[in-house]
Amino acid sequence: MKLLTHNFLSSSFLKNVKVGYPLVLRVSKAEVVESEFNPDFTKKMLQKVEYPVLAEAAKVTNIQNLEVPSELPSDWENNEAFLNVAYKLLNCINVVEGELECPETGRKFIIRDSIPNMLANEDEVDS
Amino acid sequence: MRLTIISKINYTKLLFAASKTSASSLKIFDRKTKLKQRNWAAAHPDFDVCQYVKDEIGYRVADKVFDLTKFNDIVLDLGCGGGHIGQHLIKENVGVLLQCDMSEGMIRKSKGAPEDELPTLRVIGDEEKVPFKSQSIDLIVTSLSAHWINDLPGWFQRCYNILRPDGAIIGALLAGDTLYQLRVALQLAENERLGGMGTHISPFIDAQDIGGLMNKAGFEMITLDSDELEIGYPNMFALLYDLQIMAESNSTIKRTASLRKDVLIAADSIYRIMYASENGYPATFQIYSFIGWRPGQKGPQKAAKRGSQNVSFKDLSEVIENPDKFVPSKK
Repeated sequence: MKLLTHNFLSSSFLKNVKVGYPLVLRVSKAEVVESEFNPDFTKKMLQKVEYPVLAEAAKVTNIQNLEVPSELPSDWENNEAFLNVAYKLLNCINVVEGELECPETGRKFIIRDSIPNMLANEDEVDS
Repeated sequence: MRLTIISKINYTKLLFAASKTSASSLKIFDRKTKLKQRNWAAAHPDFDVCQYVKDEIGYRVADKVFDLTKFNDIVLDLGCGGGHIGQHLIKENVGVLLQCDMSEGMIRKSKGAPEDELPTLRVIGDEEKVPFKSQSIDLIVTSLSAHWINDLPGWFQRCYNILRPDGAIIGALLAGDTLYQLRVALQLAENERLGGMGTHISPFIDAQDIGGLMNKAGFEMITLDSDELEIGYPNMFALLYDLQIMAESNSTIKRTASLRKDVLIAADSIYRIMYASENGYPATFQIYSFIGWRPGQKGPQKAAKRGSQNVSFKDLSEVIENPDKFVPSKK
């Protein structure tokens, strides 16, 4: 599961959950998938994601040698170094095994073989 | 083989029910069974050969994405199945593709967008529940999976909620006339053999009901389209076999547990006599396509005013001979 995916997931479909975002990430196994830096992609995505959530998730993955600012720097559009780091966060970190926890109910969703499983039982779900 | 026929569900009644009681109590489809059917189909060796209907409709939905003038950063494919829309998307229109389906088998197998075009992110999740953050998605696409959703009014509402303002939903689902030949053949066969009729084909939504539901959810500039695909089969059993592998077997809650051999054979003969031609046994798939917009600051808010056109149909031949005359100048 890329960190970009985590930025969009919500557990709001569970009973008694108001917002269900962001899901708490726990990582048992993560890997770095190298790919070529794409500045356009990075700039577009940074406008659509919740950066603090991305930064927090990146800290959890504990990847070595990665300086992650916890807030979006004000000059981010032209800051080449930051954009490079942001691209890595968005597209190069893959959580292979882990879990996502609903912040309101504590319900855990498993990440297995790089794909999160957000299925829940009938009795846990709203309607 | 389990198929059952149910009379068409009147969704307008459901609309009124939704405002008084919770529509959740009306469960027509057994999603657990649908999940098992999808997982089974994904693991079947003939899976790739039987996806022609979904591939064709997936292509048509992807084609509609090219018609949008705006760039869509985050695109969500709800009920992606084997991934029929993703393979046609290009980086000129789409930033990233999120694929969501309740079947793990389908998701792990699903074809995503080409690697050199854009990244594909996969999530196993119930597409009816839409487990995504509100106002996070730019474009929702869904092809031939919405006809298995129980709470359609709620689903359209949830889709609206996760869309950003100026976002759109483009979808296609199966409609009322789908497989009418099969439905009639089975009804007549059962009547003749057993003296009664079971329900074998699922209920489908009416066109006017989709419009109503989308309107209620808040969508604007709703466009609805109807299309028919007719496919020929060598016999009825081939059709049933392919339907199973498309993961389109019946999964309504009130379905009969089995279909007797003698009923099936009788149905095959009736099908042949009533509908077959030299092209084989025709099976009709009727598809409703819909597009709706979440209102926002930019984007198409209103249809153009009547009488505001600046070209005439009598100039139609000129469009081909002299297209530059009609392209707005980009100065």
